[in-house]
Amino acid sequence: MGLEQLLPAIAGMTWQHLVMIGVGVLLIYLAIARKYEPTLLLPMGFGAILVNIPLSSALTQIDPATGEAVEGVLNVFFQAGIATEIFPLLIFIAIGAMIDFSPLFRNPSLLLFGAAAQFGIFLTMLFASLLGYDLREAASIGIIGAADGPTSIVVASRFAPSLLGPISVAAYSYMALVPIIQPPVIRMLTSRKERLIRMTGNNSKKISKQALIAFPIVVTIVAGIIAPSSLSLIGFLMFGNLVRECGVLNKLSLSAQNELASLVTLLLGITIASTMTADRFIRVDTLIIIALGLFAFVFDTFGGVIFAKFLNLFRKEGNKFNPMIGACGISAFPMSARVIHQMGQKEDPFNYLLMPAISANVGGQIGSVVAGGIILTLVPFFA
Amino acid sequence: MTPFFEKALLIAAIGMTGIFLFMVVFYLLILLLERLMPFREEKPEEEFSEERVTEDENL
Repeated sequence: MGLEQLLPAIAGMTWQHLVMIGVGVLLIYLAIARKYEPTLLLPMGFGAILVNIPLSSALTQIDPATGEAVEGVLNVFFQAGIATEIFPLLIFIAIGAMIDFSPLFRNPSLLLFGAAAQFGIFLTMLFASLLGYDLREAASIGIIGAADGPTSIVVASRFAPSLLGPISVAAYSYMALVPIIQPPVIRMLTSRKERLIRMTGNNSKKISKQALIAFPIVVTIVAGIIAPSSLSLIGFLMFGNLVRECGVLNKLSLSAQNELASLVTLLLGITIASTMTADRFIRVDTLIIIALGLFAFVFDTFGGVIFAKFLNLFRKEGNKFNPMIGACGISAFPMSARVIHQMGQKEDPFNYLLMPAISANVGGQIGSVVAGGIILTLVPFFA
Repeated sequence: MTPFFEKALLIAAIGMTGIFLFMVVFYLLILLLERLMPFREEKPEEEFSEERVTEDENL
């Protein structure tokens, strides 16, 4: 009896499998030692190891004796949770339950930064299409710039399932790297004088409970009328928010924020890893996608900051936006707001940008979901 | 120039405009909701205070 029969996994191991196991270990290291999105990167890292051991029963294999397929649990999870979009949409309920929209009610004009900072998505899509990706693939790569993992997963699983692995890894890794990506871009685009601008908002304004309850309902109806195909994304987010704000489902709201979010994130991470097999992941495409993801985040920041500078052209002295706030229009919450606040404090310890930054960041959470919905609506028309 | 670039350009133009339009609509909705449902200080309810008294009594 040869080695092949005794230890078929060793006999079937290639250098590509070893590289992928290394990628898995690296993701686990980043999650534990660097705390880069550990809730996602750790399950993804472990899953990458799980699926790159040849003949892993976690994946569907052909039984040599019968010639029949024996379903692997990760493939079952993938079909049930990601191909159907159930996992990311459940995450949206959890995120909705975590979002407090009252900062937006205090500074509603900052909502617009949530639109400007989606610029990277579309620029990256253009760039990807120039590199030869078809429209569906280019849109899936561009959506990394939403800085919103579940939105990226929904779009990629619908338009380019074969690219889901690298897109998810890029989206979650760059979200964790916002404190490293955004500051140099912002410093390059703004002068010290601009970074010193103080913003006075109506931060202590009280918002009525009725308005906060009505908001998710009205947004869902309006978004549904304008773009029905965006409803699964926006609707689930707003449903989670309604559970939070209604005041009569506190236990459900807490469950959504904690147990639901934790359980689905765990399953989502390890299930995405089922796409990170060596034959799908070790390709030039993966490197290109990871580079384009960085490009998207950089140009999101660019879009937000430049839009703030543009608006300042029309605003009176003393009422100008600190252009750094524009960078908070991405969805990475509250990371981006915290980064901008810290940058402001570095320039002037008495400049408190946290509240307007949070408002713009909440706008970014809505903006990224809207961007995902718009892409889901538009791409099939043109593809 | 690939055959997809022109279509991608069109999607980008419509997409960015669409996002801004959505945000403007949401902005107007917030203003409307604030006007229709302004914050009012809640008055302490009598029932609530009675309940407290009952609880205190139980203690």
